[in-house]
Amino acid sequence: MQFELSSEQQLLRDSVARFIAENYDATQRLALVKADEGGSGANWQGFAANGWLGAALPEQFSGFGGSAIETAIIGQQFGRGLVIEPYLGCAVLAGQTLLAAATPSQCDRWLPALIDGSQRLALAYSEPSSHGMPEIVETCAGHSPKGYVLHGRKTLVLGGPLVDGYIVSARLPSQPTSRGCVGLFLVRADAPGLSAMRLPLHDGTQAAEIVLDAVLAQEMLGDPDRGLQALREGLSHAMLSLCAELIGAMERTLEITAEYLRNRKQFNVPIASFQSLQHRMADMAAETELARSMLFVALASFFNDSANERYETVSSAKSFICGIARSVCAQSIQLHGGIGMTEEYSVGHYFKRAVVADVLLGTGTVREAAAAQQLQKRFSDARTGAIYARAP
Amino acid sequence: MDFTVDPAFVSFRTTVRDFLQNELPRDLASLPRSISSERSETAGWQRLLTAHGWGAPYWPTNRGGTGWSVEQQIIFDEECAAAGTPTLDNFAHKLLGPVLNHFATDDQRAEHVGPTLAGERFWCQGFSEPGSGSDLASLRTRAERDGDFYVVNGQKIWTSYAHRADWIFLLVRTSQSEKKQLGISFLLADMKTPGITVRPIMSIDGRHHLNEVFFDNVRVPAANLIGREGEGWSITKYLLNNEHASTAELPMLQVFLRRMQKLAGEIQLDGRALVEHPQFALRLSRFETEMKAVSMMVQRTAALHGQDGAIAHAMGSMLKLRATDLQQRISAFIVEMLGDYGAVFYPCPYEGPATSLPLQELAAGAASEMFLRRASTIYGGTNEVQRGIVAKALFGL
Repeated sequence: MQFELSSEQQLLRDSVARFIAENYDATQRLALVKADEGGSGANWQGFAANGWLGAALPEQFSGFGGSAIETAIIGQQFGRGLVIEPYLGCAVLAGQTLLAAATPSQCDRWLPALIDGSQRLALAYSEPSSHGMPEIVETCAGHSPKGYVLHGRKTLVLGGPLVDGYIVSARLPSQPTSRGCVGLFLVRADAPGLSAMRLPLHDGTQAAEIVLDAVLAQEMLGDPDRGLQALREGLSHAMLSLCAELIGAMERTLEITAEYLRNRKQFNVPIASFQSLQHRMADMAAETELARSMLFVALASFFNDSANERYETVSSAKSFICGIARSVCAQSIQLHGGIGMTEEYSVGHYFKRAVVADVLLGTGTVREAAAAQQLQKRFSDARTGAIYARAP
Repeated sequence: MDFTVDPAFVSFRTTVRDFLQNELPRDLASLPRSISSERSETAGWQRLLTAHGWGAPYWPTNRGGTGWSVEQQIIFDEECAAAGTPTLDNFAHKLLGPVLNHFATDDQRAEHVGPTLAGERFWCQGFSEPGSGSDLASLRTRAERDGDFYVVNGQKIWTSYAHRADWIFLLVRTSQSEKKQLGISFLLADMKTPGITVRPIMSIDGRHHLNEVFFDNVRVPAANLIGREGEGWSITKYLLNNEHASTAELPMLQVFLRRMQKLAGEIQLDGRALVEHPQFALRLSRFETEMKAVSMMVQRTAALHGQDGAIAHAMGSMLKLRATDLQQRISAFIVEMLGDYGAVFYPCPYEGPATSLPLQELAAGAASEMFLRRASTIYGGTNEVQRGIVAKALFGL
């Protein structure tokens, strides 16, 4: 393993960092949030022109042939800047799910337009009672002479108000409700029977709640036997991106807080001279480095594990890192005192992103509960516990 | 960045595993592995490794070591923990060894390396004193030059395993310079030298690891000075720097994890194994995740070894903060898993007559290790000292 960025990876990081420095200072960001349009179209075209929207998509579909490492590099810098455009929802989650589900000819038809920024898709998979877990699907797909017809309600569709179409997960006919075949369907945003409600999120990003009332799907992506698997693969990539974002967010929060402690004076001295605050910062830094180590565990899983193992590892990493990010960002507010509570100051916004991240893509507690169940299954499979007798 | 696993490491792991499977005698192995072995077990294991050419797994080849990379050393440690080998004398291997390799004369190395790798010379570390803990440089044990000897007077404390060590490496004050760090020197002394007295300190885990060591006009040959007179403090900084990746005590954490997994499958609650209860499964799963993160942090710390910069300087301290905290929490959880038996005191068989209490086999040693873990946030630089290092290095606070 090599933890340092290669020169090519450094170039990517530097170009994203430059974009953030030029377009995403606190004032610019606040203006974007206040405009209430889920970010700027010009920024999105900039992402496309720089190749970031297709960084981890294959070259044969006009992508740039990178891997999860490129996604993480971009995500980390976007986290430092608290970017509000739907990179996570559209470029990573929808893009990677489409790649995992679709046939080559479907990829050919859709991916180039997503990568050049001319079209946007969002993934509509979560539902009111699924809390972000892809296996729980009540939306159903019925046959009609014209094709598949969808009924159901989807929540927290990331980037949902800003897209041309949705990838919708739905249970196929004659399957029991909790398990079985899940198909992924492409649906136009303006399809008859589809209504979308804009959901503003705490962190300035936007999602949608969509209701499907006998909506005719354009097409099904790939094979219904692989729908759930494709969803998990898309989610693995998106959870990784979110983890990287939070590492960036924590890094930036620590920098801002350290600077504040050095400048702020009370009792005629910089408050940085107080040991209780120094030690708190040291603990926050140590937690952040532990979280970064977990991000590397997740990244390593993309190169060494099966898709199922990867999904489990990245899920655990997601709840682990979100927990740390909430704590580190909350403490940054505390270390600032009153100013940390204000809308104009940035640390509160990092905390909001951490809170939203914990909810996105499967809430922390639900993902942890699933991991615990998986562990029970491992024990019952092993029965005697003999497989734990040796190191990995 | 590159996260592919080097195939050379996969085959190295197989080599180590095969060696352990074929060469480690049953009577030397214990599972779960004990945290620190008896002297005879350690000596036997050391002899076996030396006979195989692996006697110094952490040293470079030009000093008689295996020349293994840091990654290989971690693999070796992991496999040894998994196979339940005795522990090695880490004072010799990980603390004194690098100092001998870097600062000692050829004559000094010739005198000590052979017996140490033959399992005949055990070492202890004489640093702390009653008045000098975190403020180590304030130490007062004196060494005055008298012809070809230093005459040492003073007292060391918290000296682990002094009672079974043959030699001690210690810090002494050789001059009263204005800057207290400059008057310190690094000496080696034979524990059998007249005037050295060892007094045991029993610790809260019910065992004898710690000692006081008294020096009363002890005559140490001047040839046993390492480096130059007054160079002791910079040697110490070098030694502590080498310790960084190993302060996590990853092999021990892995032993804890295995014990936890074993108990989860074997201890019953309401007629079912603990693991079948969601609360226990959740905590187990969280510990497994945290272990993965700490293991990766160990690898990152090892990869930063010898590099400059704030993060390289602070990473060892941050690893110590996170890893020792995990050691304490996981060892406490193991005791909790024992249910009622978590409250029972199982005397250590090494400290007195053997007992046979209920659940003896699964429970014995667990609470003792949990109590001993309280020391992990004190030794090797208290965690409060580490926090000071991190705050200064990373944030200039």
